[in-house]
Amino acid sequence: MNLKPLYAILTFLTMSAMNAQEVPYEEYDLDNGLHVILHQDNKAPVVTTSVMYHVGAKDENPEKTGFAHFFEHLLFEGTKNIERGEWFKIVSSNGGQNNANTTQDRTYYYEVFPSNNLELGLWLESERLMHPIINKIGVDTQSEVVQEERRMRYDNAPYGRWREQMFISLFKKHPYRWQTIGSLEHLASASLDDFKEFNKKYYVPNNAVLVVAGDIDIDTTKKMIMDYFGPIPKGEDIQRSTFIEDPITSTIKTKYHDSNIQIPAILMGYRTPAQTERDAYVLDMISTYLSDGKSSKLYKKLVDEKKKALQVFAFNGSQEDYGAYVVGALPVGETSLNDIKTEIDAEIVKLQSEPITEKDYQKLQNKFENLFVNSNSSVSGIANSLARYYMLYDDTSLINNEIDIYRTITREEITVVANKYLKPSQRVELEYLPQEATEN
Amino acid sequence: MKKYYITLIFGIIALNLQAQIDRTQMPKPGPAPQINLQEPQRFELKNGLKVLVVENHKLPRVSIQLLIDNPPILEGNKAGVSSLEASLLGNGSKTIPKDDFNEEVDFLGARISFGSQSAFASSLSKYFPRILELMADAAINPNFTEVEFDKEKQKLLTALKAQEKDVSAISSRVQSALAYGTSHPYGEFTTEETVNNVSLSDVVQFYEDYFVPANAYLVVIGDVEFDNVQKLVEEYFTPWIKAVPPSFQFSKPSNAQYTQINFVDVPNAVQSEVSLESLVDLTMKNDDYLHALMANRILGGGAQARLFLNLREDKAYTYGSYSSIGNDKYAPATFRATAQVRNMVTDSTVVEILKELDKIIKEPVTDDELKDAKAKYVGNFVLALERPETIARYALNIETEDLPKDYYKTYLERINAITKEDVQKAAQKYMTIDKARVVVTGKGSEVIENLEKITFNDKRVPVKYYDKYAKGSKKPDYEASVPDGLTAQNVLEKYIEAVGGKDKLMGVESYSMIAEAEMQGMKLNMEVKKTSKDQFMQDVKVMGNSMSKQVVDGNKGYMVMQGQRKDLGEEELKKAKEESAPFPELNLLNTDVVLEGIEVIDGKKAYEVKISNEKTSFYDIETGLKVQDIVSIEAQGQQMNTTLLYSDYQEVSGIKFPFLLKRTMGPQTFEFIVKEIRVNEGVSDVDFE
Repeated sequence: MNLKPLYAILTFLTMSAMNAQEVPYEEYDLDNGLHVILHQDNKAPVVTTSVMYHVGAKDENPEKTGFAHFFEHLLFEGTKNIERGEWFKIVSSNGGQNNANTTQDRTYYYEVFPSNNLELGLWLESERLMHPIINKIGVDTQSEVVQEERRMRYDNAPYGRWREQMFISLFKKHPYRWQTIGSLEHLASASLDDFKEFNKKYYVPNNAVLVVAGDIDIDTTKKMIMDYFGPIPKGEDIQRSTFIEDPITSTIKTKYHDSNIQIPAILMGYRTPAQTERDAYVLDMISTYLSDGKSSKLYKKLVDEKKKALQVFAFNGSQEDYGAYVVGALPVGETSLNDIKTEIDAEIVKLQSEPITEKDYQKLQNKFENLFVNSNSSVSGIANSLARYYMLYDDTSLINNEIDIYRTITREEITVVANKYLKPSQRVELEYLPQEATEN
Repeated sequence: MKKYYITLIFGIIALNLQAQIDRTQMPKPGPAPQINLQEPQRFELKNGLKVLVVENHKLPRVSIQLLIDNPPILEGNKAGVSSLEASLLGNGSKTIPKDDFNEEVDFLGARISFGSQSAFASSLSKYFPRILELMADAAINPNFTEVEFDKEKQKLLTALKAQEKDVSAISSRVQSALAYGTSHPYGEFTTEETVNNVSLSDVVQFYEDYFVPANAYLVVIGDVEFDNVQKLVEEYFTPWIKAVPPSFQFSKPSNAQYTQINFVDVPNAVQSEVSLESLVDLTMKNDDYLHALMANRILGGGAQARLFLNLREDKAYTYGSYSSIGNDKYAPATFRATAQVRNMVTDSTVVEILKELDKIIKEPVTDDELKDAKAKYVGNFVLALERPETIARYALNIETEDLPKDYYKTYLERINAITKEDVQKAAQKYMTIDKARVVVTGKGSEVIENLEKITFNDKRVPVKYYDKYAKGSKKPDYEASVPDGLTAQNVLEKYIEAVGGKDKLMGVESYSMIAEAEMQGMKLNMEVKKTSKDQFMQDVKVMGNSMSKQVVDGNKGYMVMQGQRKDLGEEELKKAKEESAPFPELNLLNTDVVLEGIEVIDGKKAYEVKISNEKTSFYDIETGLKVQDIVSIEAQGQQMNTTLLYSDYQEVSGIKFPFLLKRTMGPQTFEFIVKEIRVNEGVSDVDFE
């Protein structure tokens, strides 16, 4: 008697049942245009309050870059009802944690509290949106902090400017050509009115999503939100420009010298489509296949087996309008950058000419499923995902469905997409080199 | 009718007014949240393994933790056996080779890792059965091989070597050894010698003795069904043979008789490690356990605590200063208050720590301090509840620490009930100002003088001296007197004689050296070539890439640092030429170098000879050999000292060369092992281009 097929079917059934992972949520708009998403999970008495603003570096005036990131700092300086320097004390003496971050597309602020401080969290975020204090002392203080941050993360950090250098070449028209940290000169020369105007334009309810997630009662929460956010006036409609890049048709070769490094690096960057496109998901899988972790193709070949590279790295940053897939390596000893390039290209050509093995495909699926599952492991992580899917993908339900997109990607599709986007003529080759010997 | 309307309107207004919030006021917290602590489900195998299962179906994933709660183990002259056993576990099983094992775990997107008496695994829940099976197999049928054993032993020896001069490592070793005594499991430590005593059969024995189910707990958390877990665990863990680990009694350690400073001299230290310690009889079961935690939190539990505010924010002595209080059911735990500080302020730091300790014992804390500390505890407790691991940890604590069943249900209540008096009582009971040990690890020549002057509460605090392995020693003698009439020239002559004699050295026209060091797993190669014609070349490579290179050829020279080439200026060239001679000492015989005194280098006395403003050399009093150079250089506007230690002298062509070079600069130490030295061969002018 052969029980195996039956057993297989049974496992399959239980498996799909076990995979049904549902993050319930409810969403609506206030009259002032603020979008609200609520996720109730009463398992633990913890609540996250967060606001994502649809403003990032790409919304900046090319002559005034760095504003969005600067606001990430500035909007902790105090409000009409919260004195300067009190913000962090209030959060910690009420048992909470908080932080903020900025990308080229959006800015995100959040607090995590024991759930009896839900109202406090809403008050803090509504104060920030309603009437932040933007004055000279705050601007001066945060300028210093941002300068230190720029030095630490970009100027003094080994390889700290690769992203900046790569994006300058990948994008000619689109504001993705500058980084969120922006220009210190722009910030230094900006007037207080410039900052006030930026605030008035972008930090308005109709350009934001509020997420409240965790141990809440829906009705009470809705009322509190109405109380704290309802009275905030709607801002003017935001006009956004669209920027269309011309395709890259012949390899762009460029060099950058970094005084913080000793070992050169080769980076190859490809412009990829907006993160909402199916192809962007396929490229995600390609990136993982080629260069994520020690069992990836490029790492195994270049670092483990041939010992030509010290390190192999890849970056697949999908964003709202475009993305970038950047793959690169640090050579060992006498290995030339060209040699590394040839090795990487060989692997890409392989990917373009035949489908990946069934086993590698299954491993990829396992990896993505793991990522997907773990990305929803905390309430604050869920809050962030809900805000992101709503604001940047215009589809909140992706919180539950995104994995299905990866599941339907086939081995053949990977080959097709690799051919479409990863041609040498479509890329930027950046030689990231140590500072050269100075001439005498 | 009219009347009715008016009431209605008033009613609406009143309602609206009530609904208005006053946003000028910070909202008050609502009633403390109800804590619903889920109870894990349990079962036990016949071999003694206790299993806790926390079902949590929010996400399709699972974690598996195996924990063996054995009493402390004395490893004695084989200390290190437990960490070797840990690194050998998880390398496959008797039936699955290591590579296949790792590859399968990787394929499933899962992970499995082992400790000496523990294991951990996590995966998607659909792979739970296989991951549990793999973990059980690796735990019960470990794949101990001689090859892996040798590899891991080498790694451990390298790690021990790397921390030989590490002030923090020395400090923590001595702290534990002095607190418990070296024959107590918590006081013993691993050395090169004890590791070399360990054989593969010792590892196997250790595994067989202690990796047994008697005190073992298996905790499964996540998207699993209890019945299924029970079935699978029974299947995979029943083969684990029932056994009880051997148990031993240890004498109970006691505190110092009076408060004292225990000093450990580490001449290369640029910072002192100050750690006040005392033993505490504290278990989680004690009624005043939370009171003790609160006292510690206010004294040194974070960036809002007194030690931090005093030593960092106010005095800027240190990047951070903290205290901690442990709990242990088998032996006394330790209370510690620590800081890493600049040499200059070592004595002041000791005094400030003593002051803060005295204060928290003598005076009640303030209302605000208590309020904020409670808020932080409550917040941390509540936020942690989100992770299912917390539920399992609490259940395990209740079980292993013998706590009341409702211990965590009443936790917040008990935190909130703590009074200032409770905190002070706990401080008085668990912290001591009269029997504390202040272990100071640092550079004796710069800090001892002031340490010996410390008085506290009008009493002199005595200083006792220990070596790096916690053995009592004499006070380091920094002022040993130089014999009458001895000059620097005598010292240099003795050195020249010791390495081979003047004639032999004069006969050296060139030599080349190749040495190797390791830094965080990367190989560093150093090549040095010198001739008697003012030619010198030194090239340091990391993984084959040149990191720094210096070349001198007669009257010209250059250096390449991090890819930047720079020609040497006149001054630099002059200095470089002094160094470029195969044996600089030969050229110093008729110069006015100064014999400064005697210093102790690596436990041995050496003459200190000042060669120039930038360089001081040390020569062993007995052997005459050079043991150390200290070269001060200016880097980025700051004076920095580079220390070069020479040892393991071996003869090449009749001349003794040091085969072990330890180079310390700032926090970094490189240990170069010389691979090859060639005298009068293999060097040509081309090398200095």
